[in-house]
Amino acid sequence: KNWDDEEEVDEVDDTDDVDPDAEYAAWKLRELKRIKREREAIEEREKELEEVERRKNLTEEERK
Amino acid sequence: MATHRADEKRFLDERGSSGPLAPNGLNPATIMEKPVRERIVDCYFWKDQCFAVNEADIVNRVVDHVHFIGGTYGDAQRPSPFLCLAFKLLQLGPGDDVLREYLEFGGEKFKYLRALALFYVRLTRQAKDVYLFLEPFLKDYRKLKRRGRTGTSLTFMDEFVDDLLVKERVCGTTLWKMPKREILEDLDVLEPRISPLGDIEDLLESDVEEADGRNG
Amino acid sequence: MQHLRAIGQTGEVKKASAEDVRERIERIWERMQEEKKDDVKTLGERLEIRKE
Repeated sequence: KNWDDEEEVDEVDDTDDVDPDAEYAAWKLRELKRIKREREAIEEREKELEEVERRKNLTEEERK
Repeated sequence: MATHRADEKRFLDERGSSGPLAPNGLNPATIMEKPVRERIVDCYFWKDQCFAVNEADIVNRVVDHVHFIGGTYGDAQRPSPFLCLAFKLLQLGPGDDVLREYLEFGGEKFKYLRALALFYVRLTRQAKDVYLFLEPFLKDYRKLKRRGRTGTSLTFMDEFVDDLLVKERVCGTTLWKMPKREILEDLDVLEPRISPLGDIEDLLESDVEEADGRNG
Repeated sequence: MQHLRAIGQTGEVKKASAEDVRERIERIWERMQEEKKDDVKTLGERLEIRKE
């Protein structure tokens, strides 16, 4: 089987449910980080929109 | 009787110019980069295991041969069975009903089948559908082996989904540039995503910092 | 299979429906469960033999 040659020793084990609590806890942390990232992206975008709005409202004089 | 060509000749020769496009408007024959395509059709796994295969046979191939995700691996940049079967899916062009079987019914039983279908959906579906198809699996924390040029590492289904949603390059393939989620929310194409953890506004900051503090 | 490809005879393969795909998934899953049961049984038998 040429395509399947495991020439290097494979130390990675992908067996699930070895320690279900720890696996869930690790997932929860990853999920929290994703939510945090999403929220920051939305805040960032709101800030940008506010800035655009602010510039639009400046008078010609202020813009110089 | 609807049939597929058993081999890829027509796919590569004709669909390059005139074949049906994927739902996202891309030509499936050119979604993977040329050097990668050439490595795939040259490799033994492709010749031996991806000939005369239909949507149901894909399941057998995944169960028997896909034990890690990845693009090309090792110094020889050998294309992974995962990548070869993704290329086969590009040729077969399965519909949403078949993809749902791979993702849900099949995906519960065979995690690498789910991973393959997720990757394929990201390559071929429109942005809105990519988010809707992929995000439910952010709650799947089963382990996945990933093999790249530098060796083997461990990842998780949710992390793989996240990579597909935010990264530019996954499994040896440059992903088409998809609008960010927040843009689609602004356009009312998508509702905000609700995490399986529910509304955790208050817990958020403290939890992440606490956990980071512990790990660091 | 490869020789067909080699002589340029490509032929066609029947398209599978979502139902076909589901049936295939079920069949493979059941086969794997059977194999697992057999493994447990042979292990059990081996232990029996060792005891004797």
